[in-house]
Amino acid sequence: MKKLTSLMAAAAFAAAPALAQDDGWETRGLTDDAITIGVMGPFSGNASSYSKALIGMMAYYDKVNEEGGVHGRKLVAVQEDTACDSAKGLAAAKKLISQDEVFMLHGNSCSGVALALRPTIEETGLPWIVAHAVSDSISTPLAGNIFHGVPTGSANGRAMAAFVLSKPDTKNVAIIEHSNDWAHSYSNPARDYLKEQGVNPSVELTMERGQTDATAQVLKMRQNKPDFIIAALYEAETAIFLRDLKKYGMGDIPVMGTAGTDLENTLKRTGDFDTVKNYYVIHSYVDNLDGEKMKPWGDMIHKFYPDEELSTFSFVSIGSAEALVSALETVGPDLTRSKLIAALEDVREFDTGILSDPITWTPEDHQGVKGSAVAGFVDGEPTVLKAWGQPY
Amino acid sequence: MSTIMPSARQRSLRIWAFWAVPALLLLLPLATNAYTQFIVNGMLISVLVTLGFTLVIGNLGQLAFANTAFFGIGAYASAMLTAKFGLPWIVTIPLAGALGALGGFLASAAALRGIRSYYLAIITLAFGELMRWAYLHTKPLTGGTDGLPLPREVVFGISLSDDTLKFYIFLGVTVVLVKATLNLMRSRFGRSVMAVRENEVATASLAIPTARVILVTFIWSGFVVGCAGALFARHVGHVFPESFGMLHLIASFAMVLVGGLGSVLGAVLGAVLLTALPEYLRAFPGMEELFFGLIVAAVLVAMPMGLASLLRRLSPIFVERYYREES
Repeated sequence: MKKLTSLMAAAAFAAAPALAQDDGWETRGLTDDAITIGVMGPFSGNASSYSKALIGMMAYYDKVNEEGGVHGRKLVAVQEDTACDSAKGLAAAKKLISQDEVFMLHGNSCSGVALALRPTIEETGLPWIVAHAVSDSISTPLAGNIFHGVPTGSANGRAMAAFVLSKPDTKNVAIIEHSNDWAHSYSNPARDYLKEQGVNPSVELTMERGQTDATAQVLKMRQNKPDFIIAALYEAETAIFLRDLKKYGMGDIPVMGTAGTDLENTLKRTGDFDTVKNYYVIHSYVDNLDGEKMKPWGDMIHKFYPDEELSTFSFVSIGSAEALVSALETVGPDLTRSKLIAALEDVREFDTGILSDPITWTPEDHQGVKGSAVAGFVDGEPTVLKAWGQPY
Repeated sequence: MSTIMPSARQRSLRIWAFWAVPALLLLLPLATNAYTQFIVNGMLISVLVTLGFTLVIGNLGQLAFANTAFFGIGAYASAMLTAKFGLPWIVTIPLAGALGALGGFLASAAALRGIRSYYLAIITLAFGELMRWAYLHTKPLTGGTDGLPLPREVVFGISLSDDTLKFYIFLGVTVVLVKATLNLMRSRFGRSVMAVRENEVATASLAIPTARVILVTFIWSGFVVGCAGALFARHVGHVFPESFGMLHLIASFAMVLVGGLGSVLGAVLGAVLLTALPEYLRAFPGMEELFFGLIVAAVLVAMPMGLASLLRRLSPIFVERYYREES
């Protein structure tokens, strides 16, 4: 017992410095000419393609820095790899916080990693703006220092279902999804919205990741003759599902996909326009990727990352970066972490010029983006839509 | 006399070497920050995972890959017992070990029915995937795809989210289980395990109950890895099915091979090196996987018997014995 007590005393002694929040905490990671920002993303592993989601944000930092920074301070990003793995993500967060001593955190794809990080980051109190991961549980229940800068799963899921029901006479809706948290973050809010509107999905099917054939699911759907299909599938599986829909004569049924798929990339994967002509995706932006309103953003990315092949993901983090810079400007040169959090909580109806919906953060609600547009092919051209048949 | 003295000295040195490492490690938190402490904690978990794996695959010589299943069972058992039943996390460690042992018992069933080699490998891999399916599809218990977060806990006035406190608990559990495994392998039972690996039929002809040896080794392996699962659950604070897939199994297998198949010391070395290496390679974003693969391949080519063989060449005190020395 004596030994155990000594051991615990040693533990308490060693832990003491970590538990104390010293005076310098408010301005740690700040210098007169720099604000260090920890940027976490999956730069390796199976989900490394999601690292593209951080490109827009990095390019926006570069643009701000080129224009002189914020109150004379440059935005200095310190990148760390999470590999879309919770243990590696926690290591990355702890490195950024305790070793690199960044001022704040921004970024993060992979909802599972973000969920695992939440308790640690909430405890440290560092401002963290989530710029890609969509799970609602990252920012709900409210954590004082965690802000969502993209539409969450529930916002996207509800937008998907609202679009589906905006098609006249839609009564019979089918759902196909992966059995993971990412897919459920879209499909569950979509289900809730459908039920609120008195529509129960007629068939709900699972297609696992890596599956290379969707014949069984398509034939099952054919029996139910749905008016619309909601597909919470990754891009590769979406392409397979659409291919098999066409193969079994169901290519005319519209399919609503998630923000995890890109309209034109899906077309590239299937290589057949007929398979995607009735495919719609959540599209968080004001225009098509190659549209006039998106061109300045694409040019900005290419200016700093000339080799970047633009896709939906390339732009996703720009809106939250804009809101961050706006809050930093509001705080002024006397920046502290608490002041930044207060300024972020004061962001109202912030029009980013790139996201289809504005950002609003309040002390009670840190999920900033409440809706999303939809993209689909209209007369063979990719078009951004507010509702069925209504261009944005 | 001349033969006894070196042995006694070696024995004394071995004891010192064994206890000196954890004794020195007690001071480690004075030199770490939250990040490095987190990595060290991860190493201790990997030591137990690798130890349990090498017992079955190295010492017993069975091509069984249920290790990740035991790990997941331990992690989910600990998370469920704390989150759903309100047990203190520390209490869940042996319980998670017991459930891991039960997993070991189930996994041994195939081996006991005479299934060997690649067939055993496939069956045990399927067992791991079956467990992952179970985590995904028993949402009320496991949280399904959303995973299961562990509630916050305070022990002796310190939050269990503190990596230093976790380190002391992890270290205690690791030392106890490594020492117990070493003792087990030095016993008559340990020699039976090695005999089964070398020639199962010949071992049976010596009236050694080979079925029991296989069963107990799987159960002990499951217990050790199950305990590691409980530590992992608290380490990350939120368990997800994705943590217990093929990638984890491959990483654990690499740790066993790099450390030295069938060696307790090798399990420790392999786990420490291959947990630390990816963190050092953070400095080379985009190249980490390439460098990691090259380094693992280089170690295996240069030292086919693993890192433990290098230490054995340096000093006889690192030679693992399968008998008890005279005092």
